[in-house]
Amino acid sequence: MSPDLVPPFQLRLYIAGHTERSRAAVANLQRICQTHLAGQYSIEVIDLIETPQRAASDQILAIPTLVRRLPKPIRKIIGDLSNEGRVLVGLNLMPEAAYSS
Amino acid sequence: MAPDATIRRENAALQMRLEEAEETLRAIRGGDVDALVIEGTSGPQVYTLQGHDAEANRFRGEMLAQVSDAVLAIDGDQSIVYLNAAAERLYGFTLAQALGRRMSDIFETRWEMPADEQAAIGGLESDGEWRGEAVHVLHDGRMLHVDIGVTRLRKANGAPNGVLAVIRDVTERKQHELAVLVSEIRYRRLFETAHDGILILDPATRKIVDANPFMTQMLGYSRAELVGRELFEIGLLQDEAASQEMVRRLNLTRQVRYDNLPLESQSGRHQDVEVVANLYDENGHPVIQCNIRDITERRRNEDHVKLLMAEVNHRAKNLLAVVQAVADQTAKYGDPATFGARLSDRIAGIAAGQDLLVRNLWQGVEVTDLVRVQLAHFHELIGTRVHIDGPAARLSAAAAQGIGMAIHELATNAAKYGALSNRDGQVHIAWSLSTSTPPQFAMSWRETGGPPVVLPIRKGFGQIVVGRMVEAAIEGKVITEFATSGFHWSLTAPAAATLASAEPGT
Repeated sequence: MSPDLVPPFQLRLYIAGHTERSRAAVANLQRICQTHLAGQYSIEVIDLIETPQRAASDQILAIPTLVRRLPKPIRKIIGDLSNEGRVLVGLNLMPEAAYSS
Repeated sequence: MAPDATIRRENAALQMRLEEAEETLRAIRGGDVDALVIEGTSGPQVYTLQGHDAEANRFRGEMLAQVSDAVLAIDGDQSIVYLNAAAERLYGFTLAQALGRRMSDIFETRWEMPADEQAAIGGLESDGEWRGEAVHVLHDGRMLHVDIGVTRLRKANGAPNGVLAVIRDVTERKQHELAVLVSEIRYRRLFETAHDGILILDPATRKIVDANPFMTQMLGYSRAELVGRELFEIGLLQDEAASQEMVRRLNLTRQVRYDNLPLESQSGRHQDVEVVANLYDENGHPVIQCNIRDITERRRNEDHVKLLMAEVNHRAKNLLAVVQAVADQTAKYGDPATFGARLSDRIAGIAAGQDLLVRNLWQGVEVTDLVRVQLAHFHELIGTRVHIDGPAARLSAAAAQGIGMAIHELATNAAKYGALSNRDGQVHIAWSLSTSTPPQFAMSWRETGGPPVVLPIRKGFGQIVVGRMVEAAIEGKVITEFATSGFHWSLTAPAAATLASAEPGT
């Protein structure tokens, strides 16, 4: 991919096989991104059951965890991402005050 | 980059790490995660909280809500990978100190029963969990009784990967249980060894549910024969109505007492028993405890004491009547100037005889003892001027009183007027038992060597004492002779009226 085509939102979702929350997290993330970040994102799903050693790079403790690698700074959101408001605040797509209110 | 800018950047990074940690904790507590990545000796490992909701709830419940329980996890290599705060407190190790070590470094496990260890291993293998009790011995020697729930942790592919243990310190409960056990043994021993019969009844059915060994001895029934029966069926109460009445009264007053009930053992042996029934609550269930005491012996003793009291009363009245008669007669017949001295002397004679009877527990008096007591003033003459001769013979209490007074009177007269009033006179006192039918008791007082005998001018009370009074006491016959050679007194009476029988109080 050429530098021009690097999407502004690089997201990584760490899951643990096919657990209920992992599957929900994948589905919720895809829905939110298509709605709010269409054409501006990439998602990498990492299954730590298959590659547990990959947890180290982002210091993952709880699963599922969404990591926003770009834009900086790195942000993490834990859970199945069913609360869309929380996810949008976490991705900096919505001001925290708006979510809180 | 300027130094303060670097510091600001590091601060921001730290702040973010802290927020991340808080977020992670919040998510775990909130149940938003279904797996954890734990750093093991062989790299990061994923622990799924298997079974979804149920298992996740259990995990959260045990690990977080019930934080008073110690929680400890080991991996497949037996290394400790998790220890909660309660476990840190319980075992005196911090998480940092414990991580990577083996459980045996923290405590030694001792099993209460040898089979428990096998049951734990077997349970983990077959069911993936085990629950039971063990003792953990700490490094300082303290012993903790613990209740343990162990669950096998599994990797996502199902392969076993360590265990999670939830441990509750039950030392205090165990000590309490031990105290209860000691108490149970102590009171069981009391029950087993009591020398009262004890029956435990169910108030609802009025039936016996337990009986102590002494009760089975008292009744001659085995425990199995007693259990399930009602009191009237073992002869303790008259009938079913009496049993019902006892329970009715117990419900009102909590205690019912029967001072004296007749009880027959299976072999027909009669006993008098005292029964005290109490209604208690035993762990919320009412029970009746009956204590049954054999009072046969006590009743016999009470009867004996009553008899003795009546006898003492009777004798005291008799004695007072004798003293009164002696006083009246002494006043009537004697010189008023010497009344006091004479009365005092006669009462002393009665008292001496009385003392002798009391010393012999009213079981009669040997003639020789009676004679010596009444001749106490002349004891130095016995064997020289006073001769006592006769077989062993035991006088009844009444005979001893009459004959004793007579001897006392004869001795007084001998000292005043007869053989003991000079330097040479002698007194021969003899008695015998004839073999005739019916047997006769004979006794004599013969004086020799005294001053010339003078027939008394008038009959004094002394003559009544040695004559009519003694005759009346023993249905006897008295002969007195005032021979010139010396005074002679003789008495004959049926032995049956004179001698003591085997029974006391004659």
